Amino acid sequence: MQKFLLLLAMVFTVATVSAQNRTVTGRVTDEKGAPVANASVLEKGTSRGVTTGADGNFSLSVTANAKTLVISSLNFSQQEVDIAGKNSVSVSLQSKVNGLNEVVVVAYGTQKKADLTGAIVKVGGEQLENRPQTSFDKMLQGSVAGLQSMATSGQPGSSQSIRIRGFGSISASNQPLYVVDGIPITSGDGTRLTTTANLLSLINPNDIENVTVLKDASASSIYGSLAANGVILVTTKKGKAGKPRIRFDVEVGQNQIGYMNDRFRPMNSDQYVNITREGMLNSGMTLAQAEAALKTGTYGDYTRGYNTDWFNLLTRKGTQQQYNLSISGGNDKSTYFISGGYYNEDGTTIQSNFKRYTASIRGKNFATPKLTISHDLSFGFSKQQTPSNGTGFANPVYTAYVLLPTKPAFLADGSYNINTPDFPAGSPFNTLYLVNVDKRNTNTVKVIGNVAAEYKILDDLKFTSRFGTDYNNIEEVQFNNGVYGDGAADFGRAYSYYTRYFSYTWTNFLDYKKRFLKNDALTADVKLGYEAYSYNYFDESVRNDNLPPNFDLYLASNGSNPKTASSSGADKKRASAFSQVSLNYEDKYVLSGSFRRDGSSVFGVNKRYGNFWSVGASWNVDRERFMESVDLFTQLKLRASYGVNGNENGFGNYSSLQTYGYGVNYTNQPGSAPNNVGDPNLTWEQNKPLNIGVDVAILKNKLRFSLEYYSRKTTNLLLGAQTSRTTGFASYTTNIGSMVNKGWELTIGATPIKTRDFTWDVNFNIAANKNRVLSLYQDKDVANGAFVIRVGEDVQTYYTRLWAGVDPANGDPLWYTDATRKTTTNTYNSAQLTTYKSASPKFFGGFSNSLTYKGFNLSFDFYYNFGNYVRDALASLYFGDGTSPTRNKLVAQLDRWQKPGDITNVPKYILNGNRNSSSFSSRYLAKGDYIRLRNIQLGYELPKNVAERLHMNALHFYVRGTNLWTWIADKNLSSDPEQGVGSTTNGEVFIPKSITVGLNLTF
Amino acid sequence: MKYNKLVLGAVLLAATALSTSCSKSYLDTKPYTSIEAGQALKSEADLLVALRGTYAGMRNSNLYGRTIPLLGDLFADVTYISSQNSNRYIDEQRYTITVTNGNASATWAAAYTVILRANNIINSAVTANTNVNQYKGEAYAARALMYFELVRLFAKPYTDDPNALGVPLSLQYNPSALPLRSTVAQVYTQIESDLAQAFNLMTTFSSSGQFSKYAAKALLAKVYLTKGEYANAKAAAVDVITNSGFTVATAAQHAGYWASATQRTDKLETLFEVVSDATNNAGTDALAYIYNQAGYGDMLAADDFYASFSATDVRRNLMTAGTRGGGPCFFVTKYNNVTNANDKDDTKVLRLSDVYLIAAEASARTADEVSARTYVNYVATRRDAAFTGYVSTGAQLVDDILNERKKELAFEGDRFHTLNRLKMTINRGANYPAAARTIAYPFNFRLYPIPQDEIQANPGLAAQQNAGY
Repeated sequence: MQKFLLLLAMVFTVATVSAQNRTVTGRVTDEKGAPVANASVLEKGTSRGVTTGADGNFSLSVTANAKTLVISSLNFSQQEVDIAGKNSVSVSLQSKVNGLNEVVVVAYGTQKKADLTGAIVKVGGEQLENRPQTSFDKMLQGSVAGLQSMATSGQPGSSQSIRIRGFGSISASNQPLYVVDGIPITSGDGTRLTTTANLLSLINPNDIENVTVLKDASASSIYGSLAANGVILVTTKKGKAGKPRIRFDVEVGQNQIGYMNDRFRPMNSDQYVNITREGMLNSGMTLAQAEAALKTGTYGDYTRGYNTDWFNLLTRKGTQQQYNLSISGGNDKSTYFISGGYYNEDGTTIQSNFKRYTASIRGKNFATPKLTISHDLSFGFSKQQTPSNGTGFANPVYTAYVLLPTKPAFLADGSYNINTPDFPAGSPFNTLYLVNVDKRNTNTVKVIGNVAAEYKILDDLKFTSRFGTDYNNIEEVQFNNGVYGDGAADFGRAYSYYTRYFSYTWTNFLDYKKRFLKNDALTADVKLGYEAYSYNYFDESVRNDNLPPNFDLYLASNGSNPKTASSSGADKKRASAFSQVSLNYEDKYVLSGSFRRDGSSVFGVNKRYGNFWSVGASWNVDRERFMESVDLFTQLKLRASYGVNGNENGFGNYSSLQTYGYGVNYTNQPGSAPNNVGDPNLTWEQNKPLNIGVDVAILKNKLRFSLEYYSRKTTNLLLGAQTSRTTGFASYTTNIGSMVNKGWELTIGATPIKTRDFTWDVNFNIAANKNRVLSLYQDKDVANGAFVIRVGEDVQTYYTRLWAGVDPANGDPLWYTDATRKTTTNTYNSAQLTTYKSASPKFFGGFSNSLTYKGFNLSFDFYYNFGNYVRDALASLYFGDGTSPTRNKLVAQLDRWQKPGDITNVPKYILNGNRNSSSFSSRYLAKGDYIRLRNIQLGYELPKNVAERLHMNALHFYVRGTNLWTWIADKNLSSDPEQGVGSTTNGEVFIPKSITVGLNLTF
Repeated sequence: MKYNKLVLGAVLLAATALSTSCSKSYLDTKPYTSIEAGQALKSEADLLVALRGTYAGMRNSNLYGRTIPLLGDLFADVTYISSQNSNRYIDEQRYTITVTNGNASATWAAAYTVILRANNIINSAVTANTNVNQYKGEAYAARALMYFELVRLFAKPYTDDPNALGVPLSLQYNPSALPLRSTVAQVYTQIESDLAQAFNLMTTFSSSGQFSKYAAKALLAKVYLTKGEYANAKAAAVDVITNSGFTVATAAQHAGYWASATQRTDKLETLFEVVSDATNNAGTDALAYIYNQAGYGDMLAADDFYASFSATDVRRNLMTAGTRGGGPCFFVTKYNNVTNANDKDDTKVLRLSDVYLIAAEASARTADEVSARTYVNYVATRRDAAFTGYVSTGAQLVDDILNERKKELAFEGDRFHTLNRLKMTINRGANYPAAARTIAYPFNFRLYPIPQDEIQANPGLAAQQNAGY
């Protein structure tokens, strides 16, 4: 909330003072100096008054000793002016609603908040600066109602799943469109070998001025076929006229695993040996047989006395630091902003690291009074090391859980133990050794550049031409040594992958802003433009096996058995015409409409062009004359919007074409085959969002609410239609299926205390979403891993057998035979699969507090998430009642059934498993409800006079805790509750918690 | 003045719009690794490339990559699954097949994928010349071969009921087609017609990895034999023996012949095989991988089958005694290029020895026992140097020929189809599950089901499902 200063200029003049009456003249203006007509000017305590003219001037005869004038106008706060000894005053009125005139970045420009008809949330740059996180999309978690931002991995530089108002697609993209300074950019994970990466992590969050999230049709439909999943606009920092401002930020700290459920830690040697022995006896082995087996290498021969804590060896405390320096300034001819940054974070697991170097330069030239030229260039380079995930034998997270504590990590001479008896073929590797030898390196470059010219044809007509490019270059190198691990069978493997994404956007538009009617009551803003977009993808892949034994020679050139040499590419083009109209009558009534016609190369020739539109309206009730007397409201605004937009991302670039593919080779000669049926009618998924909102501010703006209801129906969902196999194809992709998301969002802002020295600000938001699949291909269920996509259900509904616990009589696992939960069975296949819960939360949001006392500031932000279920996808391996007996188990396994009468939820432990108890059932689903203290920060800002004495502008230092505290509802949740939007574990790097200290210095 | 400037704005906008992307072709993008289907088959060279793609389709592990040659022995009495296995083809060994059987579904789909590739070549409008005719002829032969495999796996034998339901005939590209099953006789008519075209169009032999004139004729001989049209079978087989220029591998050549993984140009033995090489192969899903102990090694030779060989028979050398799953057994060592980094085992589809045995059987069944003995002994004496030849007559002669056929074509997928065409009971030894040692004829599960996923996409086939499914 931006506060406007009241500018009260007083002009002292020598005046002739009449004995009884005198005349006071003056001018009433708004904050910007524009005249305010029809304002009432009243001598306080009397009925003497006049109204101002069209030029804002007035002349009023007052009593000789009159001291105060009361000035009021419909849209402004009432103001009292001291006229003692003055005969002429100049009054600047403040808009009634605090922040109503605040300007937010919207599609193709900016708008006053009062003009908004849509659901738009702005996140200020101060919420994105100096956070110990690699990309700004991670920082949006909890700060925007209805925007779900979930990490799948704690790997620094990892991708982040963002869902705005739920899942809008089944097989196409669900990620929002990112637009940086007007240029749509390539986002997501662009890598092909790396476990997880994020192109947005190449953008230094410290270079961001603010982020605007467009959630509904009115806000986003002007982005046409790209808008269905919402749009996130990023505005970077620019220079301001004034003396050079130098800013230096540093933050350093340490991180470690954020959340661990102690019941789900791996066992120690004794625990493992004892339960394995028990399992062997339960499987019918004699004690002598069991002992003999336990003494073999397969089980690690416990008599050697090792108790290796693999978990401790493979995880770590990481360090992190970032340094940012910027210089900005300018004059009336030009402004500039130059910045540089360095960021380094070690993950919580060995072999996990991210380093980033960024530089940017942005300038603006006011070439002539009519012509402004601007140029922005942001450069980012990152080096990332990422371990594998899942049940990969080289995954340090997985092996931390399953390597046997009875096996030593090191040999007596201190070297790594990679001996075959302890690590036979087909078992997890000693990953400690591998991380020191194998390589999994990713280097990424992202350059976003744009040049723009703005030409004022008339005072109210502006032409803008902007050309922007986004260049992403990814080099991935993987090396698996030929001695031990994944590469051993091939005597070493060297991979080298190159991937490039380049796009440009050329936007040209006219912007016509004009005031009409008497007193300029009606403001019209009309935009009309044209945009061309071109995207180009290219990749190269090389793999060469059988390398020399020197591990410094890890690049593909050193191999002797070439395996892969391939290259591919893709182009995508889009041509669009767009227009937007906004009409504002006295800031009371706002009507907006947008229209865009998109043509996209992705789609079939018959359905290549589509029309997208929106209409929106808002009513600022507080501006009505009848509300003048109602003091309670500083803002009361009703909004509604509806429209159509589309989703063209995630379609592949050539799905509509009937094609022949190559590489179907025979006798080492090229071959071809039909590889796509194509659909000339293939077109975008269509999304129709309805949004109704109300914004209320009361108690002099101390309490602010925004409540939104939305319903968005997506039709023409891209799905596979089955064909008879006799045609030579099994399916083709076409537009069938539909889905709806409905929900509400509430945002509350409050300032419970505000005194000269002490301020307490509270922000709270909550969003609830309900997703339903409405139709599918022939309305048939679509199996989707552990989920089923079924008409009438949430798109992330689990499809599983229902766990019924353990039979106290014999320790058998039990499942309910069906959803009625009336009868149980100990035979897995006799239990029916049923729909069960969802991986999507029912509601989530954020709660943040900021307390400022003089120079001290304490802020703490919570994120909460309720109603989803998290699946432990690896549980069968380490919590499966005896399955995979040569893998270590979780401590929770100790709760197993041991004798008749035992009441427990963990079946009898039997070597090689107990009646399929480890197969997927609701046993491995736990409530995902959690509350997390995302950020707590205590800072001190040096008093301005002290700072100035030290020749500084400001000095702020602080200590910050990230993810320090996590509350979970379900003690059976085996992992961190944050497991991506799919709520499924996959042996990913643990999400960290960190403590950092920082310093911000400006000169 | 003001009006002029408004016009200026409009002109600016229009000019930029036109210069960037107004032309219609702006939105036409071309894929990098594929081309529009209409551009794929426009020249003689295109046809050759598409023809290789057709052969490559046969390398699919659901066709000659593994399933087809494997089933011919596993469904019968030659190959069984070790107790130590990778959990593949268990239902086939036990004859507990269901409509959702993954191998049935995958083989069905893979065969029709190859048929589409062949159809597009056959139906292409490239101007005829010798090469174009050759390529089209090969495509006809490939299509005939696929229908021959389909009709034998999914339909009743012609010898049982020619009017029984065969398989759907798909001869054109039409992704929305929902064809129903033609009769077995109609499918065979199509196969014979395709093979006649193939024989007429082809003129050159380049290698055993491609169809040639006499490979098509050899297939025709096998088709006739399968239909029980013995006079035709004999005529076709004799034509191949007499005119193809191919020779049968001798005992001395036998080991080297099987060790070699490259396609042949010397006309020795192999009339047609599906080629796998170092880069293009079915990998761990290859036939060799499931037989060879360096791979999965799941599939073993039945004990009684091994015992049927004399010690001097070179074919016995393609099996070795070993231990697996806790007991003694016989490993199959016919395919040994699993660990060869430079090449992989090809899958033999048509061999001259097979043609000799067709000629022998067809002669025996057309009252020409002299020729029958000549042809069978031509093969048998080239496998066992100590063997002086069969002298039997009548039913015994036929039995001897069938036995020789079993021995010669073991692990190449012939036996089950021989037993089916002759409507014979399958008698399996003690290596097989007790519940599945005697499989009488007829028996529902001697046919694969029309796959469930096909019926879901093509519901008209629901009423045409094979009995028992």
